[in-house]
Amino acid sequence: MAENREMRSGNSQGLFLALSIWGIVLISVVYFFKYDVPELASNRSSQDTLYYVILGITGVAYILVQAVLGYYIYRYRSDSGVEGSYWHESHKLEMTWTIATAVILIPIVFAGLRIWGTVKAAAPEDSIIIQAMGAQFQWDFRYPGPDGEFGAIRPELYSLENYMGLDPADPASADDFIRTNQLVIPVDRPVRIVLMSKDVQHAFFLPNFRVKNDLVPGMRTDVWFVPTKVGEYEIACAELCGLGHYRMRAFLEVKTQTDYESWLAEQHSQDN
Amino acid sequence: MSEGAHGKGSFISTYIFSFDHKMIGKQYLTLAMMMGVVGGLLAMLVRLQLGFPGTQFQLLEKLFPVGMASGYMTPEFYVMLFTMHGTIMVFFLLSLMPVSGFGNFLIPLQIGTRDMAFPFLNMLSFWTVVPGAIIIIVSFFVEGGAAAAGWTAYPPLSAVRSAIPGSGAGQTLWLIGMIFFVASFTMGGLNFVVTIINLRTKGMNMFRLPLTTWAQFVVGILGILAFPALAAGAILLLFDRSLGTSFFLPSGIFIGETLFPHEGGAPLLWQHLFWFLGHPEVYIIMLPAMGFTSDVLATFSRRPIFGYRSMVYAIIAIGTLSFLVWGHHMFVSGMSPILGSIFVTTTLAIAIPSAVKVFNWLATLWRARIRFTTPMLFALAVVSLFVTGGLTGVFLGTNAVDIQLHDTYFVVAHFHFIMAGAGLFGAFAAIYYWFPKMFGHFMNAKLGKVHFWFTFLAYYGTFFPMHYLGIAGMMRRIYDPNTYEYLKPLQPVSQFITISAFILGAAQFIFFVNYFWSMYKGEKCTEENPWGANGLEWSTPVNPGHGNWPEEIPEVHRWPYDYNVPGVNEDHVPQWKASVKVEG
Repeated sequence: MAENREMRSGNSQGLFLALSIWGIVLISVVYFFKYDVPELASNRSSQDTLYYVILGITGVAYILVQAVLGYYIYRYRSDSGVEGSYWHESHKLEMTWTIATAVILIPIVFAGLRIWGTVKAAAPEDSIIIQAMGAQFQWDFRYPGPDGEFGAIRPELYSLENYMGLDPADPASADDFIRTNQLVIPVDRPVRIVLMSKDVQHAFFLPNFRVKNDLVPGMRTDVWFVPTKVGEYEIACAELCGLGHYRMRAFLEVKTQTDYESWLAEQHSQDN
Repeated sequence: MSEGAHGKGSFISTYIFSFDHKMIGKQYLTLAMMMGVVGGLLAMLVRLQLGFPGTQFQLLEKLFPVGMASGYMTPEFYVMLFTMHGTIMVFFLLSLMPVSGFGNFLIPLQIGTRDMAFPFLNMLSFWTVVPGAIIIIVSFFVEGGAAAAGWTAYPPLSAVRSAIPGSGAGQTLWLIGMIFFVASFTMGGLNFVVTIINLRTKGMNMFRLPLTTWAQFVVGILGILAFPALAAGAILLLFDRSLGTSFFLPSGIFIGETLFPHEGGAPLLWQHLFWFLGHPEVYIIMLPAMGFTSDVLATFSRRPIFGYRSMVYAIIAIGTLSFLVWGHHMFVSGMSPILGSIFVTTTLAIAIPSAVKVFNWLATLWRARIRFTTPMLFALAVVSLFVTGGLTGVFLGTNAVDIQLHDTYFVVAHFHFIMAGAGLFGAFAAIYYWFPKMFGHFMNAKLGKVHFWFTFLAYYGTFFPMHYLGIAGMMRRIYDPNTYEYLKPLQPVSQFITISAFILGAAQFIFFVNYFWSMYKGEKCTEENPWGANGLEWSTPVNPGHGNWPEEIPEVHRWPYDYNVPGVNEDHVPQWKASVKVEG
């Protein structure tokens, strides 16, 4: 057999590679303790719990598998003196790691499905309903006004003045009001946001609330959640929507119930 | 290159319109590398903006007078950059290099036949993708620039001309380029499948095929079944753009003060068509890389690949399941939550055969006698990258967790490890390994090592920190993350990534120098089987001519992984060897 130069040399390469892999694992794991999901401000803590569980499980798998890979690379260099082996079949071993992987993954699937079912279930009856319309590159949030009813949206009425296409003749629309790039909601009450787009796809992303859903032209999607912390938060667009995608940003204010009511009353009086 | 091997034909029939699968494979490799350079440079510009947003680069204004007007990158330019980076890398580098390039070069050599089943179709397939590539490159120079709706080209952004500057002629050319690509790729896939089923030499039964060829076989089937969905989608989207149809466009679309007359279309239909291709496409990129890794690991471990049959079943299982997981790209798209639940199950199921492959690779290294050649270093890196990228798939495949991480940098990190990383490193392993068979010379080992080390470390440096960005909530595809207060503290991470990316990019020049220099001046390969490997491709002469074997095609007597067989004098027994000497 040809023993060309490259085949004989390079056992130090194995040592370096093993050290590199171990080093990468060490550094990358340490930094996982530094970077965390944004502070949670909604009732969706179960999503975080599952995230941490998966982080733990995959973290252990990551460390173990990379460590073994590094160890084998270091241990079984061609000059290690270890006698090579021809052993290459083990039905038992194959079954073991197939089943082991499945056993680890199945509970994750079920936990995920349970949380998904809760999050995607219909919003509670007493939810506050707000419409959100995405447009290149702004968010319009529409409140139903004192009558609690949204009037129809008529695309033929879209204009610079009437950007949600409201019909002035519709009594249900008359008391509605719209806030651009500002969403105000009360704490500890379920909120349902109905998502619509008038042009391209967008995604309604609330980093602190573990909420994300696309806005799709021609259909209505929705999300619901319960804010649990008073404060001001950022709303982001998470689906490429054009050259201004990066600045399609809005603000979310979570107010106490009383503050929310006085804000609402103020909007109603301004509107009429 | 080789004396006499191609001597019979004219220059044109040898190098341009060649029917020889080896030449066609090399043509694909060359095209893929050229496109890869373009795709890589686009990535450098993307990273420049993300690492140093709002910084003035006077010099770049000379190169891009519009996109870098007065030295500042415009958002339009940025959106176009990452769109075309994704498109070029996924289709024209990572599909063309391992599949069309190495598939064509290796399949006939590894199964023992003189050429592909349909040599003319093979030549046609290459000359169909060339116009596709040219169209994609030309699209940079049309009014409004190249496509800018993301490599996924979701309508209405990609359907309505006024939605974004690149949605003009650039998007039309993008779609036409894709149609050429699909046409070429389906021809290639058909050729792969027919060749492997029908033209194996005597003794080469399916369970004696190297894992590389097994992967190419399944990839051929995936290509035939998946790519036409993209062609159909692209044609319908062209109709929507140019003929006023409404496949993807519903009523009520209002862009640029205009209400569009479309009615009844569904933007989600495009996503389904796109991802029905898009997910198998990921495995089209990865499976050959896994095949190369298996073959290279066995050769330089001097060990048989562990669990050959379970590796084959894993390839088949991954190929089959890859058609049932596309909806995991659409968990938060507005698709029915019930469908979301189904796709979680199929997605996590695909993790099982993937994990089996990793365990088998590790078992292959157990009690090995590893020779750290350049191809071996890249193959070992594939295992590491594949583990890293595979594990983050568990987060994204679980829909409840995906809600937060979807369309963040966590996803960017994930696919750059699992698909792009494994695909690219696998292709590098293949190039360094089969280079002597392709060109009759070795690539320079020292330069190869330098290339490996910079690439491996800079790859982790570039893509691993993206996990942290994604966890912290940074969205993909944003021109300036500092628009958001909560993303501002992450700027140092972005900067670190950018510096790593520049090192990664620069390291590839070492590769190109090595590749082209070694083709002519590299250490001459004097033996047909320089690595002491077992695959049938190593039974051909140093510079195999058209027809591959000057005489009879050898008969195959065993599987391709007989290394270190107990009681045998030789440390390896090639497939074409009839009997072996026994000690004593």
